[in-house]
Amino acid sequence: MQSGVSVATEPLIETFGLTKKFGSVRALTDLNLRVMPGEIYGLLGPNGAGKTTAIKTILGLLEPTSGWLKIAGFSPTKNLIEVKSKIGYVAENPIVYDSLSPRDFLEFVASIRKLNQAKTNATIAHLANAFDMTQYFDSPIATLSHGMKQKVALIASFIHQPTILLFDEALNGLDAKSSRIVKDLVSFQAQKGGAVLFSTHIMEVAEKICNRIGVIHQGKVIAEGTLEQLRGKTGGNDGTLEEVFLKLTHEEAEVADTSKMLREAFLENEIV
Amino acid sequence: MKLSEAWQLSRIPYGEVVYRSIAEEKGRMWWGAFGRNHPGKEIQDELELTKRALRIAKFDKLVVAIFNIVVSAAPFASSFLGAPVLNLSSSISLSLAITFGFTMLYAIQTLSAFVNAEPSVLLSTLPIGRDDFSLITIFSFIRSIDYMVIGSILSQVILTAYLTSSPIATLIMLGASALNAVFAVAVALWFSKVFQDNLLRGGRSKINIVLRLIFILMWGLLLVGVGLMFSVPLYIVPNLETMLLSVGHISNMLLRLLYPFSAGTVIGATTYSNVPFTMILQAAVAMVTYTLLAVMASKWILGTIKRISKEGGVKITRVTAKDFSVKTHRPLLGYILKDLKVASRNPATAFFFVLPVIETIIIALLISNFETLRTSVVLVATFMGGIFALLLPLALLSAEGRGLEYTKTLPISSRRIILSKAMLSTATYVTVPLALVGLSLVKPAASFSAVLIPFLITIAIASASIIEIKLFLGTVVKGKINAIINDLEKLVVGIFTILIPECAYAASFLTTFDQSFSLLVMAGTVLVELVVGFYVLRR
Repeated sequence: MQSGVSVATEPLIETFGLTKKFGSVRALTDLNLRVMPGEIYGLLGPNGAGKTTAIKTILGLLEPTSGWLKIAGFSPTKNLIEVKSKIGYVAENPIVYDSLSPRDFLEFVASIRKLNQAKTNATIAHLANAFDMTQYFDSPIATLSHGMKQKVALIASFIHQPTILLFDEALNGLDAKSSRIVKDLVSFQAQKGGAVLFSTHIMEVAEKICNRIGVIHQGKVIAEGTLEQLRGKTGGNDGTLEEVFLKLTHEEAEVADTSKMLREAFLENEIV
Repeated sequence: MKLSEAWQLSRIPYGEVVYRSIAEEKGRMWWGAFGRNHPGKEIQDELELTKRALRIAKFDKLVVAIFNIVVSAAPFASSFLGAPVLNLSSSISLSLAITFGFTMLYAIQTLSAFVNAEPSVLLSTLPIGRDDFSLITIFSFIRSIDYMVIGSILSQVILTAYLTSSPIATLIMLGASALNAVFAVAVALWFSKVFQDNLLRGGRSKINIVLRLIFILMWGLLLVGVGLMFSVPLYIVPNLETMLLSVGHISNMLLRLLYPFSAGTVIGATTYSNVPFTMILQAAVAMVTYTLLAVMASKWILGTIKRISKEGGVKITRVTAKDFSVKTHRPLLGYILKDLKVASRNPATAFFFVLPVIETIIIALLISNFETLRTSVVLVATFMGGIFALLLPLALLSAEGRGLEYTKTLPISSRRIILSKAMLSTATYVTVPLALVGLSLVKPAASFSAVLIPFLITIAIASASIIEIKLFLGTVVKGKINAIINDLEKLVVGIFTILIPECAYAASFLTTFDQSFSLLVMAGTVLVELVVGFYVLRR
C-alpha cells in the first residue's frame, strides 16, 4: 500500500447515506464515503456488488434515491457541470464514439472541456507515446481492441488534469506495461493532491495502489480501512487481501465447498 | 451438414447482425434518459432489446418488402390506366430499374453491418467444417434480404403474367427479376465493402473523405429517384416506349442493349407482333451477356461471403500517426464537428447530409415550369425543404448511438447539445434560400417576397429544430414502433412550426394584398417562434 500525501482537510469526495434503488432492487445502501486529497480509495467487491452504481451516482450519471454527496465542495444535483469538469472518469466497458478515431475523439473531449490546445497536445503526446498509440491514433475506435479502447478512455480522462479520478475497473483488458503506467499515473495524481476512487475486483491491484479500501458487498460497504485495519477486523495479523475479503464477505466456507465440488467433478473426468 | 440444419444455424450470425444494428439505436430509443433518470428501466430495457431484436428485424424486413412490391408495381400502373400492351417494355424496364435501386439501397444498410460485424465469430469457435461454416454464413446473408427480393420478383412475375398471358414472357421475366436481384445485391455488397473499408482504414487522407462523399451522394441520387418515380406512369413511360421500339436512332439501339431496357424489349417482343427481328436479336444478345455477367456476379458474391466467414470481414489497414496533435474548438463548434463526423460515417444517417442537394433539385424542378419565380411556388418549395431539414435532428440523435453514454460524463449541458444539433440542421437548410437567390438571377422573381421568404423560414427551421429535439429529449419510449411514432409526433410539431409563419404570410396577403405588410407579419411570427424556442431551451 502507498502512503498518500494529504494537502487539505476537506474531502474531495464525500457521500452520506447514499442509496440507489432500481425498482425494487437496492443497488446501493447507505454509502458513507470520505476520500481526502492525496488519497487513493479502493472500492473492492465482487461482480454486481454495487461498485459501478456507486461511481455512476458520484459522477451524477445516476440520481441517488436518498442521501447526499459533495464532489470538491459541489453537489452533482445542483452543479453538475462543475462536478463533471473536475472529474476524470473511465468506465468498466469503454464506451466511446466508435466511428471516430482516437484523434477525433480526444479533439472532441478537449473542445468540450475548453482546454488550451498547446497544453493538451503536450499531455496527449506524453500519454499516447506511453500507451504505444502510434499505429492506432487515426484508426476508427471500432477497429481497436478492448485494451486499446481502454487506453483511449484513459487518455481522455487525464487530458484536463482532473482533481478527481473515478476509475471503474480501469485496468480491464490492459497489458502489463499499460497497467503499470496507469498505476503510476494514479499514484502521481495522489501525490499532486488529487483524489482517486478506484473500483476493482482484483485484490492485487487494491492491495498495491490503494491507501484505503472499502469492501462493498450487496450494495453495502461492510468494512473500510487500510489492509492492516481490515486484517484486524477479521481477527488476524496476516493473510492476503483475498483471504481477508472472503472472511469479510463470509464467503470463505462457500468458496471452499465450491472448490471441493469442482475438484471432484473435474478430476473424475479424463482429459480427451 | 444438412441444408435445413445450416439454415437453422444461420439464425445465430444473422441475429447477431440484427442485434448489433438495433443496439446502435438504443441510445436514441431511450434518449430521454439524458435529462432524467428512470429507476429500474435500464436493466429491463436491455433485456427487452435483446428479446425484441429479431422480431423487430422481421417487421422491418416485411415493411421494406411491401414497399419494394409497391414500387416494383408502380411502373405497370400506366398499363392499367392506358393501353396495356403498348407500354409493356418500358414498364418492365422501369420496374426492374426501380427495384434495383431500392434493393441496393436497403441492402447497403444491412450489408454494412454484415461485412463489418464479424457476425460469424460466435460460431467460429465451434467444431464446424469450413464448407459448412461458409454455407451458414451464406444463409445468414440470404436472411438479410430474402423477403425483399422474393417480394419484388413475385410482384413483377405476377404482373407480367397477368398483362401478357404468355408463359414465355413470364418465364423471361422471372429470369430478368432474378438477374436484377443478383446485380443489386452484388453492387450493394461491393459498395458496403468499399464504404466500410474506407471507414475502417482510418487515417486523414483527403481521398478517403472524397470517396465517402461520393458514396453519400449516390444515396442522395437514389432518393431523387423516389421523387421521379411519381412521374413514371404519366410522363416517362410513354416517351420511353417510343424510344425503345424505334428503329432509327443509334441512341435507341444503345438503350435496348442497356440493362434493364434489354429485358423490357425482349419481353415486350414476345407480346408485340410488329417488332423487327434485328431489334429482338440485339436485346436478346444483350440479355445473354447480362446472364453471363450475373453468373459471374453470383460467384463473386459467394466468394466474398466465404472470405468474410474465413477472414472475419473487412481487412483493417493501420495508418501510422505522424503526430498526436489535436485542434481544439469552442465547445459548441466541437460538438457540431463531432456530430458531422459521426453522422457522416454511419451508413444509416450519412445520406441525410445530401438532403440539401435534393431540396435544391426539387426546387429547381418546381420552378422550371414557370416563367417567373412565384411567391406561391417559393412557399411550397421552402416548406418541402423545411421538412427535409427537420429530419436531420432525429438523424443526429440516432447517430449518437452508444457514444452518448460517454457524452453524459462530460461537462456539457443538454442545452448546448440541442443548440448544436439545431444549428447543424438549420445550416443544411441555408442552401435553399441561397439556391433561390441564384435561381432569381435566371428567372426573375415575381416579387421581393419570393427571395426573402426562404431566409425568414430559415429562422423558423432553427426554432422548429430546437423544439423538436427538446421535446424528443423529454420522452422515453420502448420499442421500435413506439420510437417511430415518437419521431413522427415530434416531426409534426416541427412541421407546424414552419407552417405557421407561411400561413401567417398567406392569410395577411389574402386579406390586405400588401406584400410588405405580409412579410412583416411573417417576420414577427418567426421571431415569436424563436423566442418560444429559446424559452423552451432554457427551461
